[in-house]
Parts: sequence; C-alpha cells; structure tokens
Amino acid sequence: MTTTAQIPLTIIEPEKTSKRWRGLSRALVAYSFLIPWLIGFLGLTLGPTLASLYLSFTNFDLLQDPQVIGLANYQRIFTNDAKFWHSMQVTFTYVILAVPLKLAFALGLAMVLNRGIAGLPLYRALFYLPSLLGASVAIAVLWRQLFAKDGLVNVVLGFFGFAGPSWISDPSYSLYTLVLLSVWQFGSPMIIFLAGLRQIPPDVYEAASIDGANKVQQFIKITLPLLTPVVFFNFIVQTIDAFKAFTPAFIISEGTGGPIDSTLFYTLYLYQEGFAYFRMGYASALAWILLIIIACFTAFSFLTSRYWVHYND
Amino acid sequence: MTHDFDRRTLLKAALGSAGLAAFGSVPAFAQDSRIRLYWWGSKERSDRTLKAVSLYQDRNAGVKIDGETLAWGDYWPRLATQAAGRNAPDLIQMDYRYVAEYARRGALLPLDEFVGKSLDISDFDKASLDSCKVDGKLYGINLGNNSNAMIYNKAAFQKAGVAEPIDVTWDKFFELAAAVTKAHNGEYYGTSDGSGEESPYENWLRQRGKALFTEDGKLGLDEKDATDWFAMWAKARETKACPPADLQALDKNNIETNLLTQGRAACAFNHSNQYVGYQVLNKNPLGITMYPQGAGPSPGHYLKPSMMWSIYARTKVAEPVVKFANFTVKDVEGAKLLGVERGVPASPKIREAVSADLDAMGKLVVDFISHVTPKVGPIPPAPPKGAGEIQTMLRRIAEQVSFGRVSVADGGKQYVSEAQAILSRA
Repeated sequence: MTTTAQIPLTIIEPEKTSKRWRGLSRALVAYSFLIPWLIGFLGLTLGPTLASLYLSFTNFDLLQDPQVIGLANYQRIFTNDAKFWHSMQVTFTYVILAVPLKLAFALGLAMVLNRGIAGLPLYRALFYLPSLLGASVAIAVLWRQLFAKDGLVNVVLGFFGFAGPSWISDPSYSLYTLVLLSVWQFGSPMIIFLAGLRQIPPDVYEAASIDGANKVQQFIKITLPLLTPVVFFNFIVQTIDAFKAFTPAFIISEGTGGPIDSTLFYTLYLYQEGFAYFRMGYASALAWILLIIIACFTAFSFLTSRYWVHYND
Repeated sequence: MTHDFDRRTLLKAALGSAGLAAFGSVPAFAQDSRIRLYWWGSKERSDRTLKAVSLYQDRNAGVKIDGETLAWGDYWPRLATQAAGRNAPDLIQMDYRYVAEYARRGALLPLDEFVGKSLDISDFDKASLDSCKVDGKLYGINLGNNSNAMIYNKAAFQKAGVAEPIDVTWDKFFELAAAVTKAHNGEYYGTSDGSGEESPYENWLRQRGKALFTEDGKLGLDEKDATDWFAMWAKARETKACPPADLQALDKNNIETNLLTQGRAACAFNHSNQYVGYQVLNKNPLGITMYPQGAGPSPGHYLKPSMMWSIYARTKVAEPVVKFANFTVKDVEGAKLLGVERGVPASPKIREAVSADLDAMGKLVVDFISHVTPKVGPIPPAPPKGAGEIQTMLRRIAEQVSFGRVSVADGGKQYVSEAQAILSRA
C-alpha cells in the first residue's frame, strides 16, 4: 500500500510543482513586462502626486526647504483669492462649450465618413491631422493669422459686409478662439465614433426603414442609443482633457492668460503661481482642488450613466 | 502571437537599439569638463553666444560647453524648477531683477574668491561691480551695461515730415506720434502703447521723483502717480498717437511680436542692448534715443547691467566656468564675438577694442550709452519679492483701462491696492 501510495505521489508532485511553477513564471513574465510602466507610475505619477499633497500644506518657494503651514493655503484659496474664482469660471466656460461642440462635430463627421465614400482612409487621416498638431507654436501663429483684426476670418466676413473685431486679442472673444481650437482638434473622438458606428448591425436600420422610419428617427432611435457607450467614453475623456487644458492658452497668450486674464485657465493660474511667482505650496493646493473636482465630476458621470448609457449585453 | 521573430528580425532590432544607445549616451572619456550654459534672448544672441562657445572650445581642448536657450518668459520657470531639483545649469545668464532673490536663497556661488585669479575684472568701474553685488558679496559678472532706450522707425517720422523724437518731452512726443499716425492714414501708429510696460513706467516715475519701490521694498508711488500714468496714455489713445487696445494686445512682450517689428507702430520702449535684436528683424533703419523726458530735472534713466553671468552654487566645474565667463568679458576675441548685444562692456579696454570694429548698429548703441551716461541717476535698489507679479499686474490693469473695462481713476486705485497686497503677501 505504501509503495502504491508513494508512486502516484512521486508522479503527481512534480506535475503539481511544475504547474505552479508555470503559473508563477507566467506571472513573473507578466510583471517583468510591467516593470517599466510600474517604475514610471510609482516614480513619475504616484510619488510626485503624494509629494504635492504634502507640499500643499507648506510654504515652498522652490529654492528653500518647505515649511509646513497647515491649511493656510486652502484657506486663502477659498476666502481671499479672486483669481481662483475667475480662473475657475474661465475653465468651466471652456469645458461647457468645448466638450459638447467637439463631440457633436466629431460625431457628425464620423457619420458622414461612415457612409462608405471613396478615399475614406485619406479623409480619415486628413481629419485626424489637426489633432496630431496639438498646441504648438505653429498653431499659435496660425491662430493669430486667422483671428487677428486683419486675419483671414475677418477677410471672409468682410465679403459679407461684416467688420469683425480682433477676435484673438479682444478679451470679449479670445476664450472662444480657444474653444474653436479645441473643436478643430476633433480627430480622436471622431475615430472612436467611427469605430462605434461600424459596430451597429446594418440589419437594424434595414428593419427600421421597412417599418417606415426616416433618417432622423433612425438616428434618434437607433444610432444614438446604440452609440451611448462610445459617447460616454468620449465624453469622460474629453471632459477630463478640457479641465486639464493648458497648452493652448499658454502658447497663444504666451503664458500670460491675457488679454485681461480672459484666457487664464485654472491650470495656467496654477502654473503662474508655482513657476512664475515661486509659490509651489500654493500651486500644489490649487492642483489638488482641480484633482478633486475632476474626480467628483467623473464619479457623478459614472453614477448617472446607468440612466442613459445602454450596453448591448 | 501570430508572428514569430526570426533571427534576422532580432538582429535588426538589436542593432537598432545598440545604435540608439550609442546615439544617446555620452562617451565618458572624451571630455574633462562639461559646462552647461543657459541664457535667454533672441536668435541673434544665440548665434553670437554659440560662436564664442565654439572659439573657446577650439582653444581649450577638454572643455565642452552645452548651450540651452529660452525666451524670457519661459526662462525663469525653467531655472526655478531646475534649481529646485538641484540641477541648475553651471553658468546662468542672470538679470538684475532676480540676482538678489537667487543669491539670498543660496542658489548662487559667491565669486569673490576668484577675483584677481581666474576672474580678472579689476578694471570694471565701481558702479558696474556694485550692481552685481548682493549684501556685499559678488554674485554676478557684468556682461555689459545698458539703459532704457526708445527704438523708432526713422522713415515713419520722415514720411510725416516731423522731427525724429530725439530727447523730447512726453507732450512733444505724443504730438509727433499723432502726426505720424495721421500721415499713415491711421493704418500705422506713431508709437506702441507703453502703458502696460514697466520700463517706461518706472522711467516716468523717476522723472517725477518717485520710484517703483523704495529702499526698504515698499511701494514707491501713490494713487495719483498711477492714475496720471494711465490718464496720459488714455489721452494718447484718444489722439491716435498709439494704437487701440485690441491691436496693442497682440504684443506678447518680446521683440518678435512688438508692434514696431510687426510693422504697426513706429516706436518701441526698450533697452539699449536690444537695439541690435530689433534692427536685425526690421527692414527699415531704426533710430535709438532716450525715453521722452519730464518737465523736472529728475533723471529717469539709469545705467544697469543688462545682464550678468552667475554661477550655480552646486556646480562641480566652478573653475572652468569662471574661466569661460572671463573669456567672454575680458578676452578681446571672445568679447568681440558677443559685441554689444548684451550691453556695452564694463571694461574700458574691452569697450575700446570692441568699439574699434563694431558695425554701424553696434556703434549706435555705444554712442547712445555715452550720450546717456552724463544724464543718468542712481540705480534703484534690487526689487523686492513680488516685483515680477506686480509687473504682470501692471499690464493687466493697463489693458483693463485701454479696453474700457475700468476708468482711469479706478485703474490707478486698483494698481496701488493690488501692489500693496502682493508686497504684503510676498
């Protein structure tokens, strides 16, 4: 008995360990491939984020060691900082205008491209191009050429007998030129919408048209509901991006947020406090407030999503 | 996985990454000392600096100098970040505005121990040396002196048939400027709007016997001064001597976007060393003169180091850095390459040598400094903390006034109260 019991053991044991070993080594391989990302995440994201939480409770001028001052930074932000409220207002205006416009534009073009026109890859690439350009100095120059007093936009408006203002340097309009810049860079949501549209089975439309539904009804009753997961995804990503928008304002106003702080995005204000006026502790507190706002917004979106996002499963 | 790597693909990848590694890595054996050099300014300045660097490297095998350059606005944030990371460049182009701030926070190396050894600045005059000292220690090497200067398009004044605005009063200046605008049918203005710029503002305040800041770092002016300043420019805007607000707002505070360079206005308020940068970017011959003058005897102008070399406190190559800095201010060849683009050299011997083969632009700058020198007042004290923020604030309020968002009187009131709030916080 003992021998018969031992035999299977000696056979099973190595098999077991080798299985376990295989599992472990697989995990090891996975983790070793993750290491570069993990190092980046811990060293470049989590570490600095936690450090900034600490700094937000200090007075830190970059050159001398930080001194802990408790909640004084936060207290000042909420009670004695007009620029905080102003820059919040600028950023919220930007988010509220830029995100829906950009998504509508991206969806509209995706639907046009989805009709199977000739040369689709070319159009797709062309429409994606502005997103690749990002906010660069070249874009700043282009925007100035377009929206200055004697820029292209006003030349075109002039044909219709309308004398436009200097859009980009007039504080009443300058923020809207940045909204337009954002809308113009609609490439990545458009590509995602296009992929989403491809997933809707054509027989649904066929059935609807047999039942006599017109194009508008089809769009409202079929396309939009089936596309809501993609809309939701684009909405979240674009909104977070818009809250964090920095480079367009920085590049076009050359870091000032002018004229008259009309393009002073929250992130730009944060940057000025930290890097131009050497108040890194204060800037860290501002950054944490933005983080909390974005987190709240995203959580809220997820909570409400079950009322309007229809998953197809 | 659908595709396998064969031996050839792997080999290619390996070669590729080896190539990348070789490209990115620095051969450790090649140089004895590597210096990081950091400056702000125009392309013209970069060209000159890099020429001096390459001459120095040719002469001194074993020294390798890496240049980094940025525009003024981006320069200071980057420097502050690098200093916070204990990784600032070895040789830093420093401004009078910031030297005290960096020196007092221990970021700069005191240079006194090098003087008379590798740093030979014995023939600098006292003013040129003192302006680089903080609390009695030397933290900067004067790269040249400058003064406020108005740079103007000569042809525009000729076209209007009026005199060039040389050493005129403010009243006369605006009269001439309005004539220029009129002669160009309102499409080109006599002067840019200087109401948001600190240098004409400070100059004008000094003419009234006031200052931006007092010796002990308080505000050196009152509400009436600020209001009068905004009122003077409001009137200039009314007479079309200077452009409307939306045109002026295109100026992003650098040579490239200044309305003079953009072909929109005939005068720019600047510093004498920047004349070279302006002329390079302008087709029309430019003149250089003092800012418009006040009625009283108080001089608005003063001489200051347009910039200086400072050395990072944690540098590991202090001696080679000092030697290179010395080369740019005391070696005839090196100083000639920099010319007067950073200001007129402080050393008389070098000034003479540099002047001898200056081009016409450079000669004008040297002549201008000689013209101004007998008329200047003392240099103001190093600005207090928060001065940079107040400078930004001046521009914002000037824009609020010019766009008609606040009245002239409220602008003056707001300037004083915000400035005091900034100073008390800093």
